[in-house]
Amino acid sequence: MKNKKLRLGLPRALFYYYYAPWWETFWQALGVEVVVSPPTNKEIMDLGVSLAVAEACLPVKIYYGHTAWLAGQVDVLFVPRLVSVEKKSFICPKLMGLPDMLRAAVKPCPPIIDTVINCVRQPQEGLAAAVEDMAGRVGFRGREVQSAREAAQERYLCWLERQQMGRANGATDLTSASAAGAAVSETGKPGLIDSAPAQAGSLKVGLVGHAYLIHDRFLSMDIPAKVKKMGGEITLPENLPPDQIALACRQLPKRLFWTLGQKIMGSVLSLIEQDSIAGIIHLTAFGCGPDSLVGDLAERYARRRGTPFLLLTIDEHTGEAGVNTRLEAFMDMLPRRYSA
Amino acid sequence: MKVTFPHMGNVWVILKTFLAGMGLEVIVPPPCTRRTLEIGVRQAPESACLPLKVNLGNFLEAKSLGADTIVMAGGVGPCRIGYYAQIQREILQDMGCDYEMIVLEPPDVHLSEVWDKLKYLKRRPWRKVLQGFILAWYKACAVDALEQEVMALRPLEAKPGLVDALYRKAILQIDAAGSKRQLRKIVRETVAEMVALPRQREYPILRIGVVGEIYTVLEPMVNLNLEKRLGAMGVEVVRKLFISRWINDNLFKGILPLPSHHAEKLAPPFLNHFVGGHGWESVGDTVAFARQGLDGVIQLAPLTCMPEIVAHSVMPAVQQATGLPVMTIYLDEQTGEAGLQTRLEAFFDMLQWQKGKRTG
Amino acid sequence: MKKIYLGIDVGSVSTNLIAFASPEEMLASVYLRTYGQPIQAIQEGLKQIVTLLGKAEVAGVGVTGSGRALAAVMTGADVVKNEITAHAVAASFVVPDVQTVVEIGGQDSKLIILRQGVVTDFAMNTVCAAGTGSFLDQQAARIGISIEEFGPQALKAKNPVRIAGRCAVFAESDMIHKQQQGHSLEDILAGLCEALVRNYLNNVGKGKEILAPVVFQGGVAANAGMCQAFNRALNIEVIVPKQYNVMGAFGAALLAREAKLESSSFRGFELIDRHFSSNGFDCQGCANRCEVVEFREGERVLARWGDRCGKWSNAVAV
Repeated sequence: MKNKKLRLGLPRALFYYYYAPWWETFWQALGVEVVVSPPTNKEIMDLGVSLAVAEACLPVKIYYGHTAWLAGQVDVLFVPRLVSVEKKSFICPKLMGLPDMLRAAVKPCPPIIDTVINCVRQPQEGLAAAVEDMAGRVGFRGREVQSAREAAQERYLCWLERQQMGRANGATDLTSASAAGAAVSETGKPGLIDSAPAQAGSLKVGLVGHAYLIHDRFLSMDIPAKVKKMGGEITLPENLPPDQIALACRQLPKRLFWTLGQKIMGSVLSLIEQDSIAGIIHLTAFGCGPDSLVGDLAERYARRRGTPFLLLTIDEHTGEAGVNTRLEAFMDMLPRRYSA
Repeated sequence: MKVTFPHMGNVWVILKTFLAGMGLEVIVPPPCTRRTLEIGVRQAPESACLPLKVNLGNFLEAKSLGADTIVMAGGVGPCRIGYYAQIQREILQDMGCDYEMIVLEPPDVHLSEVWDKLKYLKRRPWRKVLQGFILAWYKACAVDALEQEVMALRPLEAKPGLVDALYRKAILQIDAAGSKRQLRKIVRETVAEMVALPRQREYPILRIGVVGEIYTVLEPMVNLNLEKRLGAMGVEVVRKLFISRWINDNLFKGILPLPSHHAEKLAPPFLNHFVGGHGWESVGDTVAFARQGLDGVIQLAPLTCMPEIVAHSVMPAVQQATGLPVMTIYLDEQTGEAGLQTRLEAFFDMLQWQKGKRTG
Repeated sequence: MKKIYLGIDVGSVSTNLIAFASPEEMLASVYLRTYGQPIQAIQEGLKQIVTLLGKAEVAGVGVTGSGRALAAVMTGADVVKNEITAHAVAASFVVPDVQTVVEIGGQDSKLIILRQGVVTDFAMNTVCAAGTGSFLDQQAARIGISIEEFGPQALKAKNPVRIAGRCAVFAESDMIHKQQQGHSLEDILAGLCEALVRNYLNNVGKGKEILAPVVFQGGVAANAGMCQAFNRALNIEVIVPKQYNVMGAFGAALLAREAKLESSSFRGFELIDRHFSSNGFDCQGCANRCEVVEFREGERVLARWGDRCGKWSNAVAV
C-alpha cells in the first residue's frame, strides 16, 4: 500500500469546515494524496439532492453530492463517524449514520474510512483511539502516526487562532494540496470572509449558523458579503473566544448537548449582551433538527432582550431573490431601531 | 401540587398509577385530539418535531383542568427529546402559562439529581412509592399483552370495530385496577371475549411489521389510527415497540427477561452505530421481520426526525438484501387521512400481488 | 343490449367515467370537473353515459379516486380500489411491459414502479400542489394564456429559465421575478415545466429506478411542454396513452371486469334522478369530536364515515 500513493477523498462539506486543516495535514503527513472535492456548485448540489432522501437537510444532501463527485476518482473516502467531539456533547444523529447512509446511496462506492470519533465520555482516549484507527486503516502505526498527529494539531490550532481574529474562514484559505483546487472567489482571495472592521458608521451584525452553511459560498449565497455590501460588519461564532461562548451557555437551565447548538446559542447569548450589536441573523438549513429547537430558543432570548433577529432558512429550492429581499429589509430597519 | 404529563398512546394508564403511587394528585390531560395538535402547533417552533407540538397541546389542555406541575421524560442527546422540556418551558413562560416542570432523565453530573427530583415529588413513604411503581409496571405489561392480541385479532373479525370496543373497555378497567390479580383477570377475560367474536377469516391476509420512532408508532392520533386501518384490511400488524419493553430497555438496561430489539446484532452491516432515538432499532427490527417472513414493513417517523432519516436512508440497502418491501411514512400536522389511506391500500395491493407471485 | 363495464374515478379536481364492453374499445369517456360536489358530478357523468350509450346493461362497476367511498355507496360498486392500483392496472393494459408510470393529476402526483407486471414500488405526493395540474392552470391564467396554449408555447423555448421553488408559492414568486427580468414567455413556460419535472423527480421519484417504457398519464400529460421536459430529464421518450386523462376510471373498470362477477351490484341508472345528500356533524361522544359524514338517499341513511371508534359507521349496515 505504501508503494503507490493512496488517493484519499475528502468531501468539502459538513465538518470539513471545522477540521479541514487537521485532516489534510494528518493524511498528507502520512504520505497519502488528499483529494478534496471542489467547492459546492450546482452540479454537486443536484447530484446530492438526487441521491439523498428528500427529508434530509440540505448540508447532508450536499455531502452526498461531494461524496458522489469523489467516488470515481479516489481509492478510499474519508467519512468519519462523528459521534462526539467533546465531552457529553453530540453532533447530530445524521452524522452518526453518515457512512452507512452513503454506502446505501452512492453506487459504486469506494471503501470508506468510517472511523468512529467519540469523545462523549473520555475525550483524550476517544481521540487517541480515533487517530490510531484512522492511521491503521492505511497501514500506519507508532511514531509516524504520532508525529503526523502533532503536525495536524499544530496546524489546526494556528488556524483556529487566525479564525478567531477574523482572518481565516472555514478551511478554504488553506493551500490545499488537492488537485481539485481551492475556492477562488470573485475578488481573487480564496474564499475569505473578512470580518475585520469595516468603515466607520457601519452596523455590527451577528451572523450565526453552522460553519458548513456560512462558509460554503454556494449554500449561503454569499450572505456574509451581501451583509457587508449593505453596510454591515459581521461577527461570526468563529470570531468569538470559545470560553466566552461556553460561559454564556451556562445561563441556560439545562446544558445543551449539541456541540454546534452550543456554538450558536452561546454566540447569540454573548452577542445580545453587547450593546454594539445591532441585530442577529441566524442562517439555518431547512430540516436541521438541533437548529429547530436551538434557533427558537435563541430567538426567544434575543427578543426578550430587544435585539432584532432574522431567521433565514435555506434549502435547495431557495431563490436568491427572496433571500436578498429579506436581508435588505432587515438591514434597512436596523439603523432606524438602533439609533432610536 | 397537581401533576400532569404528556400523552403517548396508553402510557397515561401507567404514568397515572406511578404518580398516584407517590401520593400526588394526578390530572390526566384530555385525550389527544386534532384540537390538541392544533393548539400545540400554533405555539411550537414550526420545524420542531411532531411529539413536541402535541405534548405542548397536552400541557395547555391540562392547564385548563387545573394542573400546575408537569412530569416528563428527557434525555441527554443526541435526539431532540432531551431538549423538549427546555423549549416547552420557555414557550409556556412566553405565553404566561405558569407551570413547574420536573424532567426525569439520566443525570448530567451526579446520580443524586434523579434522586432529588423523586424525593421532591413523593408524598408517601418509599415503600408505598415502590408499590405504586410495581403496579404501574404490571399495568404496562397488561396493556401490552392486550395490544398484541388486538393486533392479531383485528384482521380476523367479521365486523370491524368490535375488537377495538372490547379493547377500549379493557383499558379503562386496567386504569381502575388495583392489583396484579385483577389485571390478570381483566386480560384473561377480555382476550377470551375477543377470541370468541365471529370471524370472517382464520388467517390474516398479510402480515406487516411496523417500525419507527416510538411516539408516532404508539400514538394513534398522530399516526391516524394506522394499526386499525391495516387491521380492517385484513392485515396483522407486528411490532417490537411496546411500552413495557421500552421501560425495560431504557430504565432497567434490559435486565428483565423480555424480548428486545438487538439492533446491535441485526442492523449491521446496514447501520453500524447507534444514531439516537430508535433509528438503529428500526433497521434491526426490519431485518428481524424479514427473517420472520413478514410481507412488508412500514416505517413511521415525525417529519424531520433525525434518527429515522438515517434509518430511512439505509432502508434501500436493507430492502435489496432481504427483498422485504419497506414504506416510510413521515407524519406531521399536514398529514391527511385520505392520502394515508390510499398509500396503505396501494401498499397492501402491492404486497398481495407480490405474495401471489411468490406462492403461485 | 350491450353488456358494459363502468369505471368511475372521483378525484378532488375531476370526476371521470368510462364505459366499455371490451377494453380494446372504449364506448364512452366522460371528463368532468368535480367542483367539490362529487354527488352531482357522478350523477352528471352517468347521465352523459346514458346519453351516449342508452340504458345499457351493466356487468360491473369499479370505483377509485379520493371520493371512492362515497361513489361506492352511491352506485353500489363491485370493486373499490385506490388510485395507485387502478392507474397501474390501466397502464399495464395499454403498455403490457410498462416499467414506470408517471401520473400527474389535478391535485396530486404519483409514481408507480412495475416489474414483470407487478407493482414493486410507488410514491405519491399528496401535500404539495406544486407540479400538479391545478398549479399549471393557475400559472397559465396568471400569464393570460389558455392551458391548451401552454404546451405548444413552451415547446418554442430556446433557452428555458431556471425557476426555483419547492412549493407553489415560492415557484410563483420566482417566476414573477424572472418575468420582470425580461425573459421571454416561452422560456419561462418551458422553465416552469422543467422545474416541475425536477421537483417531481426529486420528491416523488426519489431513489426510484425509472426504467423504460415510461407511461405518462393524468391531465397534465396533455401538456406537450411537460412531456418534453420529462423526455429530456429522463432521457427516455415517455408514452402518453390516448385515454391519458381517464386512466384511473379505465383501471377501475378493468378491475371490475377481472373480478368475473356473476352479476353486478350496480344500483341502476335510475340513481341519476334520485336525491342524495351528505352532511357532516361533530360527534359529541368523546373529546375526539370526530367529524362524522352522513350520506343519505332521500331520508334514508346509506352510510356514515369519519368516526374513529366505529360507533356511527357500524350503526348502518350497507
